Amino acid sequence: MYHVEIIPNTSSTATPGWTYVRDKGFDPAKAAIAPSLGRKRGIRDTGRTELSSRQTNAIVRHLAELDRENPNNAPLVPVPARQRDPSRADASRGTRTKTTSNVRRVLQSQKTFRNYLDDEEAALAQAASTPGGPGASQRLPLNKITKPSSSRRSSTPAKTPRPEPSRSKKDIPLPSSSRNPSDNTIPSESQPQPQIRQDAEQSDSSLITSQYDSDPLLKSYIPPAPSERLMHTLLSEPPLTYNASRAGSPITGKSTRRFCCLCGYWGKIRCRRCHQRTCGGMKCYKTHEESRCGAIYV
Amino acid sequence: MGTAKPRPPGKNSVAHVQPLPDKTFIIDNGAYTMKAGYAPDFPPPEDEDKGLSACTTIPNAIAKSRGARIYVGAQIDTNVTDWNQMLFRRPLEKGYTVNWEAQKEIWENSFFDEKTVRSKDLRLAEPEDTTLIFTEAPNALPALQKNADEIIMEEWGFGGYLRCVGPSLNAWNEVQSIFEDPVLQQQPGFPVSPTECLLVVDSGYSHTTVTPVYKGQPIQRGIRRLDLGGKHLTNYLKELVSLRQYNMLDETYIMNDVKQSVCFVSNDFGRDLERTWEGNCTRGQPDLEEGVVVDYVLPDPNRGKKGFMRPRDPLLGSKKKQAILSGASAERISEDVLVLGNERFTVPEILFTPSDIGMKSAGIPDMILQSLSVLPTGLHPAFLANILVVGGNSLLPGFMERLETELRQNASAECVVRVRRPKDPIRFAWLGASRLATNKEELRKVAITRQEYQEYGSAWTGRKFSGAL
Repeated sequence: MYHVEIIPNTSSTATPGWTYVRDKGFDPAKAAIAPSLGRKRGIRDTGRTELSSRQTNAIVRHLAELDRENPNNAPLVPVPARQRDPSRADASRGTRTKTTSNVRRVLQSQKTFRNYLDDEEAALAQAASTPGGPGASQRLPLNKITKPSSSRRSSTPAKTPRPEPSRSKKDIPLPSSSRNPSDNTIPSESQPQPQIRQDAEQSDSSLITSQYDSDPLLKSYIPPAPSERLMHTLLSEPPLTYNASRAGSPITGKSTRRFCCLCGYWGKIRCRRCHQRTCGGMKCYKTHEESRCGAIYV
Repeated sequence: MGTAKPRPPGKNSVAHVQPLPDKTFIIDNGAYTMKAGYAPDFPPPEDEDKGLSACTTIPNAIAKSRGARIYVGAQIDTNVTDWNQMLFRRPLEKGYTVNWEAQKEIWENSFFDEKTVRSKDLRLAEPEDTTLIFTEAPNALPALQKNADEIIMEEWGFGGYLRCVGPSLNAWNEVQSIFEDPVLQQQPGFPVSPTECLLVVDSGYSHTTVTPVYKGQPIQRGIRRLDLGGKHLTNYLKELVSLRQYNMLDETYIMNDVKQSVCFVSNDFGRDLERTWEGNCTRGQPDLEEGVVVDYVLPDPNRGKKGFMRPRDPLLGSKKKQAILSGASAERISEDVLVLGNERFTVPEILFTPSDIGMKSAGIPDMILQSLSVLPTGLHPAFLANILVVGGNSLLPGFMERLETELRQNASAECVVRVRRPKDPIRFAWLGASRLATNKEELRKVAITRQEYQEYGSAWTGRKFSGAL
């Protein structure tokens, strides 16, 4: 491990302990005008685009804090003991046989969700290393799943067979009662259900035709509803694993918003020592400087 | 995990199998509350309120007061007077039933033990003559599913049993009227059937999930989860208030009440933030902050008073001083007030922008689009036009509007976007299950009987419920 020390230069002695930073957070118009910093971004403003490991740890700790049921060092609430009145116990159990070993194991297990998740991950890792293992057929391992990434890919995954365009109408049985007169008059793209829309397309003859109907620029593209067979394949897929079903990183590229660590307003200025944000009001900055600033609070 | 393939006798024995019991009991086992009750008989009531009259909401927790008294399940709602420093133990972690020791105690207390069961409608006198529908969150761990199957079938021995993904049950409800579609006339005597395409957003206590449901079945590849729910909102609010005003870190329950009465989802985050900033208010624009900043009077257990919200009173401090000087009523002097400004909307905001607390995850609108992106494009219009939001967080004012606005902005322009919430978003999955239960033929296809369980065991049960058989 090497150690980086920032040596103060003589010119900075007169400056106050805070700096103005460009607030990229809340004004998309301004953000668009500001030129991108390009390749040298990492040199010019370090620690803002990429989080340092210390900040990452702080976030992880904070999230764990939010996930907590009770305050930090609260003892576990015990399950009240049931009075084991033999005559009553018999009556309440009815025709049940005595406790099986499975039940005993489940009831005595003090495993937490974390333990179960670790077990599953280990089992999946093992199943992946030994192809054709028992777990492989049940659930898709992490690396085999088409997970949406931050860059927008094609909206249809490659694995899915494309729905064949020339499908007959009887692919999806349509309940006859869903046919109502309004379907014939409204243009087809406003119809929510693809099946109903199909129906409307068939009775299109009642619409006024014009020469622009086949104009490729004006034509609205409506993807055909998938076939019954494709739907059957989709429905019979095994569930994703717990970790694979977590939402991916955001698609819409908004930059992170920063808030004042005290009052919650926009974090317009940044403390030079600990890089925490405060709002422009000097009250918050003063409080921060006097009581909260310092590496231990970061 | 056995290496054996599904055994063929499963098919052969169907002929002489015993039928499912007629009575169906449904437990929608949520992390915060469980929703339970018997399903109605065949023609399910048309009216939603009538259908829900059989459903009871019971806290799914064991609580311990600061006087070290223990309360189980429904006792929390009725017997507790002092909420200060209440501790909770919940059998569910991250939305999944993990601790069966605690869960068994709560179930025994609420359904099986005739001394503590609240009403006749909740009593499970003969489990062997009852079919149980038990819900779980999507993407549950197989080990936890196995635990649930074993304890339900071996400890209580239900005559019939179905474990299914909770959000998918919503599709069995009559959702056309919620979306203002022409209601398909149900032929009298015809069994209830699920709606065709429904995208269920379930924002609950432990997490928020998106489940595309096609004809009552979840499309597994499209299920996505954001690990933020009501618990995180409460804890975040607690943290902010403790940092800025009083230390409320031990007062989870009280802060949950504060959250429910003051929090809202902002539809113009920037404007609302300006309106609550002190810096703007001191410049002589007192009217700016009006409407957003409120006072919350904390509950006073000694006087038996509950907490409540009231408009901001900037002169509260001086009024209090005056009251002390003039020896006015002690009530006014002793009350404790939390002033809530931007906490009211920055807290629920994390559901839409998790990056505000540093979480590298998509918010709910983005998550819906991510879920759709792995489905065939032909299904997008149908799902976007039928988005149903359930779960307690959907009751936050502004939630629905915000979700619809953001989806409209990001979704393809050719698709109609409709986001709706049922009248009772918390018990809607239960209601769907109760309608499924009236369709005996469908239930018979997916559920198992006690005999089948005894014959084939829990591994087979797991495969059956995952649809592999």
